[in-house]
Amino acid sequence: MTHRYIKIGATTAVLVAAFMGLMWSTLREGTEYYKHVDEVMTDQQAWQGKRLQLHGHVVTNSIMRKPNTLEYIFKVQNNGQVVNARYTGIVPDTFKDTPGSEAEVVLKGTLTSDGFHTEPNGVMAKCPSKYEKKS
Amino acid sequence: MASLGSFLLLASFVVCSYAAVVSVVGARRHARRLVESGIGAFYLVCALMTAASAVMINAFLTGDFSIQYVAHYSDSVQPLFYKITSYWGGLDGSIMFWVFLLSVFGSIAVYVNRERHRELIPYVVTTIATVQMFFLYLMVVHKNPFLTYLSGPRADGEGLNPLLQNFYMAIHPPSLYTGFVGMTIPFAFGIAALATGHLDDSWLRAVRRWTMFAWLFLSFGLFLGMIWAYEELGWGGYWAWDPVENAALLPWFTATAFLHSVMVQERRSMLRVWNVVLVIVTFFLTIFGTFLTRSGIVQSVHAFGSDPVLAWLFTGFMVVILVVSFGLVIWRLPLLRARNDLDSWMSREAAFLVNNWILLFSAFFVLFGTMFPTLSEAVTGNRLTVAGPFFNKWMTPIALVLLFLTGAGPLLAWRKSTLSNLVYQFMWPAIACLGTAAALAALGVRVWASGICFSLCALVAATIAQEFFRGANIRRRNTGTDIFTALVGLVGRNKRRYGGYIAHLGFVLILLGFGGMGFNKDTQVPLKAGEDVKIGRYTLRNTSVKVSDDGQKQMVTAYLAVFADGKQIDTLYPAKWFFRKHEQEPTTEVAIRRSLAEDLYVTLGGYEVGTQVANLEIHVNPLVNWVWMGFGILALGTGIALLPERVYAFAVARMPIEAAATTTALTLILAILFATPAFAQPGMSGDQNTRTSFYARTDLEKQLQHEIVCTCGACGHANIGECRKDACATSHEMRGELAALIDQGKGHDEIIQAFLAKYGSEEMLGAPIDKGFNRLAWLVPYLLGATGAAAIGFAAVKWTRKPDVQEENVAIDSALEERIDDELRDLD
Repeated sequence: MTHRYIKIGATTAVLVAAFMGLMWSTLREGTEYYKHVDEVMTDQQAWQGKRLQLHGHVVTNSIMRKPNTLEYIFKVQNNGQVVNARYTGIVPDTFKDTPGSEAEVVLKGTLTSDGFHTEPNGVMAKCPSKYEKKS
Repeated sequence: MASLGSFLLLASFVVCSYAAVVSVVGARRHARRLVESGIGAFYLVCALMTAASAVMINAFLTGDFSIQYVAHYSDSVQPLFYKITSYWGGLDGSIMFWVFLLSVFGSIAVYVNRERHRELIPYVVTTIATVQMFFLYLMVVHKNPFLTYLSGPRADGEGLNPLLQNFYMAIHPPSLYTGFVGMTIPFAFGIAALATGHLDDSWLRAVRRWTMFAWLFLSFGLFLGMIWAYEELGWGGYWAWDPVENAALLPWFTATAFLHSVMVQERRSMLRVWNVVLVIVTFFLTIFGTFLTRSGIVQSVHAFGSDPVLAWLFTGFMVVILVVSFGLVIWRLPLLRARNDLDSWMSREAAFLVNNWILLFSAFFVLFGTMFPTLSEAVTGNRLTVAGPFFNKWMTPIALVLLFLTGAGPLLAWRKSTLSNLVYQFMWPAIACLGTAAALAALGVRVWASGICFSLCALVAATIAQEFFRGANIRRRNTGTDIFTALVGLVGRNKRRYGGYIAHLGFVLILLGFGGMGFNKDTQVPLKAGEDVKIGRYTLRNTSVKVSDDGQKQMVTAYLAVFADGKQIDTLYPAKWFFRKHEQEPTTEVAIRRSLAEDLYVTLGGYEVGTQVANLEIHVNPLVNWVWMGFGILALGTGIALLPERVYAFAVARMPIEAAATTTALTLILAILFATPAFAQPGMSGDQNTRTSFYARTDLEKQLQHEIVCTCGACGHANIGECRKDACATSHEMRGELAALIDQGKGHDEIIQAFLAKYGSEEMLGAPIDKGFNRLAWLVPYLLGATGAAAIGFAAVKWTRKPDVQEENVAIDSALEERIDDELRDLD
C-alpha cells in the first residue's frame, strides 16, 4: 500500500510542478497590469515597456483623426494626470470626446516615452452595463 | 397586482420552509404522512411560483409601469415576444425565473421517482426546497421583482436593451437556466443518497437522465450565447473568455465529466466518491456562476450591476453548500469504497479516468483564469488581467488531448485491452489520422494546432464510423435487412452508446470549427465610395452609404459589392441601427456571407455620410459554420440517448417503416462521416459483464434458451443458451429477461409473445411463426420508399398503431412490460 501511495504522491508532485512551471511562464507573457492613468503617470519610468490595461477618461475635444485613415491621436486623463495615446483601427461607438459624454475607456497596450501605444483592437469603451441601467 | 406577486413569493417561501422541515422530520421518524405532506407542500411551491410568474408576465403584457422591474425592462412599443422575454431580462426577474424553473423540475423529478426511490425522496425534497428558500429569501428581503414606485407609476418603461432584442438572446437565458437549474436535481439526489446511506447505484440511475437533460440545455445555452455574440456583437468571434461565459462553461466541464464517469461506476463500481463529488461540484459551480454574474465581483460585459449585499448572501450560501456536502461525503466515505481496482491503463475505464481529470482540470484552470484578476488584486495589490490568448494557449492542448480520448476511449475494451484487440480496433482510425496528417503536411497546413486538430478529427470520425459500420454490418447479417435499417436498429438497441457516438461526432465538428480559427484573416479599413479592399479571395467595393428610418430606429447602411475571381458574387449590407431611447448605444448589424468553407464577416465600424466613407472591419472566418452544425449534431446525439425506453420499444416495433423514414437522415450523417472501409468480423468489442450468468433453472427455461437466438451478432445466431462468450452482453441481457419472465410464472407462448413485443420482430426466434405476415411487414418499407416522402409520412402515421398480432398481448401485459423495462434499465 505504501508503495502505491509513494507512486501516487510522486506523480502528483511532478504534475503539480509541471503545471506551476507552465503556468508561471505563460502568465508572465499573458498578463497585463490593470492600472488607472494617474497610477501609471506618477511613476512613468517603472511602467514603460510593460503591457498595460490603462483605465481613464477621454479628454474633452482631444480626439484627432488623420483624414481618410483610421489613425487616431487622443488624450486620456484620470485625477488630473494626462497621457497622449495613439491608436489605429475601428473605434467603438461610445468612444467620444464631446463635452458631457466623454468616454470612459480601457486601453490595451504599452507606455513609451512618446505616449501610450494602443494595440490593434485595444480600445474598449466602458459602458455602464449591457443589462443594467446606470444607477 | 404587484402586492399579489409579493404575497405569492412570500407564501412560496413559507410553504418551502414547511416542505423542507417536514420532509426530513417525516423521514427520520418514518412517518409516512409527514413525508406525504412535505411532498404536497413541495408541489404547492410549484403552483405558487407558476402563479407568481403569471402575475409577472401579465404585468409585462399589460404594461404595469408601477412595478419598477417592468418599467426598467420593457416599454409600450416593444414587440409581444420581447415583452414576455423581459421576464428574465434583469437581475430580479432572472432569480424569480430560476426559482420557478427549479420548482417545476423539482416537482417533476419527485413525481417521477416517488415510488421507485421512495427512501430518497424526503431528502430530495428538503435539498431542493432549501435551495429554493435561498433564492426566495433573496427576492423577499433584497431583490423583490414586484417592488413598486413610491411615487406612482411611470408613464412608459425604459425598454429592453436593444442588444437583447434578438431571437437568440431571448432564448439563450432560459436555455442556460434550464441547464443550471437542472443540475440541482442530481445534486439533491446525491445529497439524499449520502444522507440516507443508500449509496448503491440506484441514485445514479435516477439522475443520469436528468444530468443529460440539463447538460443538453447547458450546451444549447452556450451555443446560443456564442451565435448571439457572433451575429450581434460584431467583433468577429464568438468566444472571448469573458468571465460570464466562463461561468457557464465551468459546470459544463464537470457535468461532462460526470456523464462519462457515471458509466464507469455502472460497469465497474469504481469512482463512487468521484461521482458524488462531481455532482456536488457541478451544482456548486452553477451557484458560483450565478454569483459571478450577479455580484459584480468580476468585470464583464454581461455582469449585472455590482451588489455587495447579494455577494455576501451568495458567499454564505456557497460556504454552506460546501461544508454540508463535503461533510456528508467524508461521513459516508466507508460506504463509498470502490468495489474494483483499475486493472490496466489500456482499458476503457482508464480512458474515462483521464478524460475526467482533464475536464476537471479545465474547469479549475478556467476558474483560476477567471478569478485571477480579483485574486491578484487581493494578494499583490496590482490588478493583473489575463486575456483570451492566455486561455487559448492553455485550452488548445487540453482540447486536443480530449479530442484524442474521444477517439481512443471507445476503442479500448473494459478492464484490459489485449494487443490483438488494440490492433484490430485502432488500425483504421490510425490510418485515417495519419493519412489526414500526411495530406495536411503535403498541403503545408501548419502543424500546431490546426494540423493536429484536423488529424485528430479524422481519428475520431473514423472511430465513430468504424463503430457504426461494424455494428450495423453485424446486425444487417443477422436480421437480413439493408444496412440502413440495421443502423437504425443498432442505435435503437443501445441508445446511450450510439447516441453518445453521435454526440462525439458533434464534438469533432465543433473542434474542426475551432481549428479553423488558426486561419482567420481580418482587416480594418476606411473605404470611400467606389474604392476596393482585398481580403483573402474576396474584393469588397463600397457602393454607397445610406441613411434611412423606419420609425423605431434610424439605420445607416453601407452597400458593399463583393467580388471573387473577377465576378460579383454578392452584396452585403453592414449597418448601424440607432434605436429610439438608445441613440447613444447603436447596435451593429453584421453582414455575413456564409459558406461551409468560410464566412465573410463585415461590420460597419464608423461612417461619414457626407463623404460616403465607410470604416469597415472585415473578417474571413474559416469553418465557423461547422461549430454550429456540431452543436446541432451534439444535440441530436444527446436527444437519442435521452429517449425513454418506451419510445424505443415503440419505435422498434414499427421499425421497417421508421427505417425508411430515417434512412435519409442517416445517409446525410454518413455523408459527413468519412466512410471508413472496414470488414465486419465476429467478435466486435463486446462489453464485459461481471454479473452472474443466468443458467437455466427449469426445463421450460432451458427449452426457451434454445429457442431464442442471440441478437448480438458475434456468435452467428447461436441460441442464448449457448452464446456464452464472455464478450456477449446481449445474450446475457436476453437470458436475464427470460429469467425474469420465468420468475413471473409465464408460460411458453406468453414468453415468446413478450419477446416479440419487446424486439418488435422475430429476429430472435429460431423459426419465424408467421411467414406471410412477416414478409409483408418487411416488404412494405421498400414499396413505400419508392412512392416518395408524402406516402412515407402517411404510412408512418398509420403504422404507429401496433400490428394486430401484438395488440392484445401488449394490452394484457402493459404492467409487465413496464416491469421488464425497469429491470432492463437496471441491466443496461
